[in-house]
Amino acid sequence: MKTLAKLTAVETKLLVREPGAVFALAIPLFILVAFGSGITEGDTVLLPMAVTLAIGMVGLYLLPTTLASYRERGILRRLSVTPVRPGNLLAVQLLLQLALTVFAVSLLLVAGIGLLGAHAPGAAGFLAAFLAGTAAMFSVGLLIAALAPNGRSANGFGVLLFFPLAYLGGLMQPVEHMPDILALAGGYTPMGALRQSLDDAWSGGVPAPLPLVTMAAYAVVLGLAAARSFRWE
Amino acid sequence: MAIVEVTELSKRYGKQVVLDRVSFSVEEGEVFGILGPNGAGKTTAVECVEGLRRPDSGTVRVLGLDPVGQGAELREHIGVQLQHTQLPENIKVWEALDLYASFYARPRDWRELLERWGLADKRDARFAKLSGGQKQRLFIALALVGDPRIAFLDELTTGLDPQARRATWELVKRVRAEGVTVVLVSHFMDEVEELCDRVAVFDRGGVVALDSPEGLIDGVDAEYRMSFRFMDGQAPEPGGLLGSLPGVASVSRTGDLVVVAGRGDFATEVTASLAREHVLVRDLRIDKRTLDDAFIALTGRSLQGWPPPPGPSGPAPRTEEPS
Repeated sequence: MKTLAKLTAVETKLLVREPGAVFALAIPLFILVAFGSGITEGDTVLLPMAVTLAIGMVGLYLLPTTLASYRERGILRRLSVTPVRPGNLLAVQLLLQLALTVFAVSLLLVAGIGLLGAHAPGAAGFLAAFLAGTAAMFSVGLLIAALAPNGRSANGFGVLLFFPLAYLGGLMQPVEHMPDILALAGGYTPMGALRQSLDDAWSGGVPAPLPLVTMAAYAVVLGLAAARSFRWE
Repeated sequence: MAIVEVTELSKRYGKQVVLDRVSFSVEEGEVFGILGPNGAGKTTAVECVEGLRRPDSGTVRVLGLDPVGQGAELREHIGVQLQHTQLPENIKVWEALDLYASFYARPRDWRELLERWGLADKRDARFAKLSGGQKQRLFIALALVGDPRIAFLDELTTGLDPQARRATWELVKRVRAEGVTVVLVSHFMDEVEELCDRVAVFDRGGVVALDSPEGLIDGVDAEYRMSFRFMDGQAPEPGGLLGSLPGVASVSRTGDLVVVAGRGDFATEVTASLAREHVLVRDLRIDKRTLDDAFIALTGRSLQGWPPPPGPSGPAPRTEEPS
């Protein structure tokens, strides 16, 4: 317990010192506030978009970059010659990145609902969408971390995936303005499914099952693939 | 008592045989060197001993434990510095020591290690800001923070400048003085000659010799090597003149360059004999045989394909990066 507590404390400090963590908090918040001045009472678009962006940044950038660089720098290998198993470090990192995601999303909700006057989503629907979406996005990140040879290429994969996924997910322009085929395909991407579920939650309805199932499928399939292909060194 | 016992250890990666029936043992309290060129299997052998790799065949015992089956117990008692390992860039020196101390059941006081390894004024510095020598000192301190009985140090001084290398050697001597057995992996002759009680010489996946550095050097035919050139126009036949002198083991001549190998006081005999015959020579020098010569004698080649460096004080410190 002493070891895990210390590991968590040190990793938290490292995360706070990591510029990427600040970006993951600041960029979605900036977009929300910049576009949010004209937000209307019944807006159901802007907050789902910002929340999806925040989860995507942590899952696609921060998580894989951190894990791949830990492997690249031999930190996992160095741990494996101590009494601590390197799997503990991965578990602590996952928990911290999850905590960061929760914090980033909370900031957005407080700013959006509290300051900008957007209305609140249905709690159950929001929670389901958030959990499934985070699991799906993290599984993409874990797969990147498993396959990328080093931190820099993990970052590159993240960037390469982020923009197409954000476009397909309807984060760059409203889905109604996208070609039908792309909008349809976008619904089956992790970001598109998440944004759609969040839209549903904000519209006051129960999220449709298809996007939730899509996200769960990503989480299971990619998560397993990542676990199978992960190398410790 | 043998603290590490390796018997008939073999390991291959795919088709490539990396270790072929390697045997050696390390006695408690000694500094044991594992010497050889890059690719000789040194690191793989040590990784099998540390439990990082599973041997294909053969047995490994460390402190009487099997590194694969009893790894959890073993890892409490070994300290390791790995080649090519870094820490997170933004971790501070004290945080790394404090964290690693928490991994062990009975750690040493890391504050004392901080003092002892000259890192006290770098306590709050981030890893990325440390110099090469400071990083190396931190790695040694991290290897010792669990209060191990045996420390594995792999290519400790590779990439350091000569001054930092010598400073690091003093640290290794200090580790040993504290009663910790040290296994030192190196491809530097001078380092091994300076630090090790015994050396296993690795070449192409096998141990080709195992002895003290002095013992390995003694294995070379002659203790000293003397070379000179005849002055212009003088070209007597040196074999007849010098070959029969006491202590001379061999005489060879290439153009006007003469090389005489021998033991004891043979150099005095050679110079006196030349003077009696009124033969004038230039570029006279006498080199003591070094571990380099021993390595060439054992393997038929120099450690990194270089000729043994000249100079009476042994090989000059090298700063080349490994390939």
